[in-house]
Amino acid sequence: MTNILTTLSVSHVAQAIIVGVVLAFLTAQVIMNAVVKAMTTTVNGWSTTVKAGQPGNGILLRAAFARTLPAVNVVQEAAYWTTTKDSAGQTLRGQHEYVLQFPAGQLPPNDAFWSLTMTDVVGYMVKNPIDRYSVGSRSGLAPNADGSIDIYIQRAAPAGHESNWLPAPAGNFKLMLRAYLPGAAILDGTYRVPPVKRVR
Amino acid sequence: MNRLILKYGYPITFVILAILAWTVYRIVSAGGSGLIGFVVVAVVVWGLGTFVFLYLWPTFTYSAYKRAIVQHGLGDGPVPVNTLYATPHLSSPAASNASLLATGTDDVLYVGGLLDLSTGPQVLHVPDMAGRYYSVQFTDPSDGTNFAYIGKRVTGTEAGEYLISGPGWKGTVPQGMAQIAAPTHAVLVVGRVLVESDSDLPTAYGLAQQIQFTPLSH
Repeated sequence: MTNILTTLSVSHVAQAIIVGVVLAFLTAQVIMNAVVKAMTTTVNGWSTTVKAGQPGNGILLRAAFARTLPAVNVVQEAAYWTTTKDSAGQTLRGQHEYVLQFPAGQLPPNDAFWSLTMTDVVGYMVKNPIDRYSVGSRSGLAPNADGSIDIYIQRAAPAGHESNWLPAPAGNFKLMLRAYLPGAAILDGTYRVPPVKRVR
Repeated sequence: MNRLILKYGYPITFVILAILAWTVYRIVSAGGSGLIGFVVVAVVVWGLGTFVFLYLWPTFTYSAYKRAIVQHGLGDGPVPVNTLYATPHLSSPAASNASLLATGTDDVLYVGGLLDLSTGPQVLHVPDMAGRYYSVQFTDPSDGTNFAYIGKRVTGTEAGEYLISGPGWKGTVPQGMAQIAAPTHAVLVVGRVLVESDSDLPTAYGLAQQIQFTPLSH
């Protein structure tokens, strides 16, 4: 042990190696973050990527996705969008109330199901009084008269719209939209998830 | 480890840069002899090391997954190699903090396990899902590539048996089985079975439990 410390304190080569490895580690982190950013498209505040897990990815993509989305589905199996921002670019917070409106016929096209899930900003579900953590194609959402669907994202139950309520936690939160077996409009990028609008 | 780096990224970076500055300062204040050698070695290691870190990053990540599955399991004790474990409950606030597979989805039951094909192929059995959405994803833990899927999208929802073979396997595929040739002996397996509603949970769990491996018998 003493020998190692002595070597380290006098050997410039040993010090240089340590410095190089540390710089390499940090550089790799910076590169992976940059690759993830470059591979992520954001529309109406919703971010998504289509390259994760695909055969034929190069070293950079493999590293970047192992870091951020390990073991995630390929997009042909499931498409995922996340957001922590409303339509004005402000952080989603439990103290506000939001509506996500899907115009008639504009629900995420799919051959399996879609869902919208509420978590804290890390990705953990937060307990709420009605034990509801997602709404979606199987939760009995009630359409408006014109066929559009409003999802109420807020802490207190929206009177008269309980079936379309996605309870929000007290703090900042993250929304994740999933479409399993996504339709062609998702895969070719023409489908756009509508923005989350703050109403109060 | 990823989470720790994300959480403490700025302080860690600051401490490391401070140590670097101190090292260079010591060399310079000792007369500067050897500074060129120091810089050359550091830059070479920096360049090579960056490549190595990027190349091995998926291996780092997935070896943590492999260890977690085999040593800690997915909520109910270790999951032996070449077996699958089905989670009995959907993700929830209570479960999501503890589980490796907690991704904040309460739509599907997860099935997970690790294959070791070095001792021979494994046969995956799936029950008749009767139109229900499900998938079984096969991931190469050395690079994170999802090299094959079984499930509603790729193979339909009928009952079936699929032969998963490792690299270099030369045997005969039994009749009636489709073969999936894995690029590595180690394979991470992630299954997802849709739960239609609360009352459907027992049915979905029963089906998820029937997604299972047996060794190829001959």
